[in-house]
Amino acid sequence: MKTAFFHLMPYPELPADFPETHRSVWVDIDPKLFDPKVGHRAYNDYLDELEYAASVGFDAVGINEHHSNGYGLMPSPNIIAASLSRSCPDATIIVLGDSVALYNPPLRVAEELAMLDNITGGRMVAGFPVGSPMDTIFAYGQNPSTVRERYHEGVDLITKAWTSDEVFSFNGKYNKLRYVNVWPRPVQQPHPPIWIPGGGSVDTWDWCAENDLVYCYLSYFGYKAGLHTMNGFWNRVRELGKEPNPFQGGFAQFIACADTEAEAWELYREPAEYFFNTCLHVYAGYADPPGYKTPNTVRSGVEGMVERAAREATARAEASAARKDAANDVATGGKPEPKGPLSAGPNQLTFEQMVEKGYVILGDPTQVTEQIHELCTNMNVGHLMALAHFGNMSKDLVKYNTKLIGEKVLPELRNLFEDEWEDKWWPKPMPTEDRQLRDLSESTLTAARGASA
Amino acid sequence: MTAVEAMASTLSRIDVGGSEVVVHNAGSGTPVGYLHGMVGTPPGSPLLAAAEAASLAITAPCLPGFSGSAPSTLTRNVHDWVFHLSSILDATGLTGGPMVASSVGAMVALELAAVRPEAFSQLILLAPLGLWDDEDPVVDAYATTPSMQRRLLTKDPNATAIFFDDPDGLEGDDLIEYGVARYQTRTSAASLVWPIPEHGLSDRIHRVGTPVTLVWGADDQIAPLSYLDRWFSALPNVTDAHTVADAGHLVDWDQPTEVATIVAAALQKADGVRA
Repeated sequence: MKTAFFHLMPYPELPADFPETHRSVWVDIDPKLFDPKVGHRAYNDYLDELEYAASVGFDAVGINEHHSNGYGLMPSPNIIAASLSRSCPDATIIVLGDSVALYNPPLRVAEELAMLDNITGGRMVAGFPVGSPMDTIFAYGQNPSTVRERYHEGVDLITKAWTSDEVFSFNGKYNKLRYVNVWPRPVQQPHPPIWIPGGGSVDTWDWCAENDLVYCYLSYFGYKAGLHTMNGFWNRVRELGKEPNPFQGGFAQFIACADTEAEAWELYREPAEYFFNTCLHVYAGYADPPGYKTPNTVRSGVEGMVERAAREATARAEASAARKDAANDVATGGKPEPKGPLSAGPNQLTFEQMVEKGYVILGDPTQVTEQIHELCTNMNVGHLMALAHFGNMSKDLVKYNTKLIGEKVLPELRNLFEDEWEDKWWPKPMPTEDRQLRDLSESTLTAARGASA
Repeated sequence: MTAVEAMASTLSRIDVGGSEVVVHNAGSGTPVGYLHGMVGTPPGSPLLAAAEAASLAITAPCLPGFSGSAPSTLTRNVHDWVFHLSSILDATGLTGGPMVASSVGAMVALELAAVRPEAFSQLILLAPLGLWDDEDPVVDAYATTPSMQRRLLTKDPNATAIFFDDPDGLEGDDLIEYGVARYQTRTSAASLVWPIPEHGLSDRIHRVGTPVTLVWGADDQIAPLSYLDRWFSALPNVTDAHTVADAGHLVDWDQPTEVATIVAAALQKADGVRA
C-alpha cells in the first residue's frame, strides 16, 4: 500500500470561543480573525511538515483546495505543489485536487498540472473534486444545478487537452475554445493518474467505477463511519464486473501516534478537539444547496460528509446556545459560564468519543499499525491519506507523530496488497538518471545572490 | 383549505418542445395565467383554491423542473428560461393575455416581456425578483436549511405545508420520489436565483411597456418591502401597487383570498380601460 502525508492547513489560532461566537468556519468566517503574521508562520510550518514527511518514509505528500475556510488555507493547491515539487525531490505529489468547475476555462488546470508534471519529472497525481458546496456554490458562486455538469465537461476538456496530439476546438455547453493546445505536454503518458475525491455522492461511485478512476473518500469521520461509503463504491465496481483492486480506493484518516498510548492521549487531545469542535464548526445552511446533490443521491439517502459535519456542528451550537440561555436564566444570574480553552464543552465532541468512533486512530506504533491494517483491509483501500497533522498541532508534535508513523508504522504495512494487486494509478516518473534535481551548488547560489545584489 | 377547494383544480400534462409540462386549471370567470414562485404550484396551491370565489379562471403552467414538469437539460442561463416560458405560453394559449407571476416566475416573465412585448396584456407581479441593490440586498433563500427556508418564505410557516411536509399515507418508494420531486422544484428555483437574482434586467426593463400591478407582502423576508419602491421607479408602466398585511415573500400563499381579490380588481380595471 501507499501512504501520503495529507495536510489540510488549518488556521491555527481561532479563538477558543469560536463555536459560541461565530456562525461558521466556512464561507462567512470573519475576515478580521485572520492575522497575516499567523498565516505566514502557518504556511511555512506546514511546508516544513510536508517536506519532513517526505524524508521519513511517506510515499507521497497530499494537499487539497478549499475557499473561505478556516480549516483549509489552500485556495490554490497548485501553489503549494509548486513549492513541494522542488523541495521534495523523490516523493509523489498528490494534488487532491483542483476543483475543476471553478476554473474558467478549466484549461488552466490542464496547464498548471502539466507544468507540475514537468517540474517533478512525472511524480504527480491529478485529483479532480467536484468540490464541497461551501467551496463551489457559496464561496465561488457556482449554480448548484449546473456545477456537476460543468465539472464533468471540464474533466473531459482537460483529459482531451492532455492526450490530443493536435490543436483542437472545444465546443462545450460551458466552455467554448477555438484553439486548445496545452503547452507544456505532461510527462506521464497518456496523462497523470486521475484520482477523484468524493464526499458521498453515489454518482461519483458510478463514474469512478465505470471509468477506472481512483475513488478517494476524504472523510473527517474515520474508518468506522467510512466503511459504508467505501462499500458502496466497491459494490458498484463488482456490479460492473470489474475487479476490486484496492489501489483504486483511497481514504483519509486522522492518526495520533506516540511512544505509548498514554502519551498519545495526553499529546493529541487539544489539537483533536480544536479540529473537530472549532475547525468543523460549519453552518448547516451551507451544506445542502438544492441541486448540488444528484437525484440518485437524494434517492439513496446517503448523507455527504460535509453535510454531516455541518448538521452536527449546528446541532451542537444550538444545544450550546439553549444550555447557555437556561444557565443564564436560572443558575448564573445572566453571567456567561467560564469555559477552559482546552476542554470540550458539554455539547462538543470529547477526545474519547473521537477515538472510540474511529475519527482518530490513536496509540503506540503497534496499536496504530493494527488499526490501519484493519482500516485498509476492511475498506479494501490501498491508498491511505494519513492526516498526521490536525487542528492546532505544533510543528514539533507533527514531526514526532510523522516520524513514528513513517519509520515504525508504515514499514509494517508497505507490502499490504502489493503482491496481489498492481497499482495502476500510481505515477510513473522519468527514470532517476533522467531527472533534473535542484542545483544547490555554491556557484549557482553565488550567481543568484550577485544577480539580486 | 377544504377538500372541495383542493379538488377545484385539474392537472394536465402537455408536450412543449418534447418536454412534459404540468398545467393546472382552476376556477371559472375571467381568464388569467399564473406563474409560480419558489415552491412551484403543487396541487391545492392556495391561489388555485381561491380562484372560484374570485371569479377567476386560472391557468397555471409549471416551468421546467417545477412541480412535476420535466427538468430541462438545456438551461444554462436566464435567457434559456425565457425561451422555455415563451414556448409554454404559446402551447397553453396564454400568450397575449394577463398573467399573475410570483417571485422567480415574475423575474422570468419580466425578462420575456422585455424581449417579446406582445407576450402579456397585463402583469400582476407578486414580489418579483430581478433587481439588486448592494446596500439593500435580496436575502439568500438557500443559505439555510429547508426548515428555516420555510420560515423565510411565508409569514406563517404552515402556509407552505403542502410543499414542505410529506403527505400522510405516502410510504416507501412513493415517499422517496415525492421527496426527489420536491428537491427538483427547490433545485430549479435555486438555479434561477443563484448566486444573485439579478441577470441584467435593469438594463432591459425600459422595454417592458406592459401595464403592471405590483403586490408585496408587508413581512417579506426575502425581498424587503423597500424593493416595491425600486420596482415602482424602474418599471415604465406601473398602474397600481398594493401592500398585503400578514404576508411574506410568497404573498399568495399567506393571503390567497386577498391576492385573488386584488387580481380580479386589476383585471376588471384593465378591462375598463380597454373598453
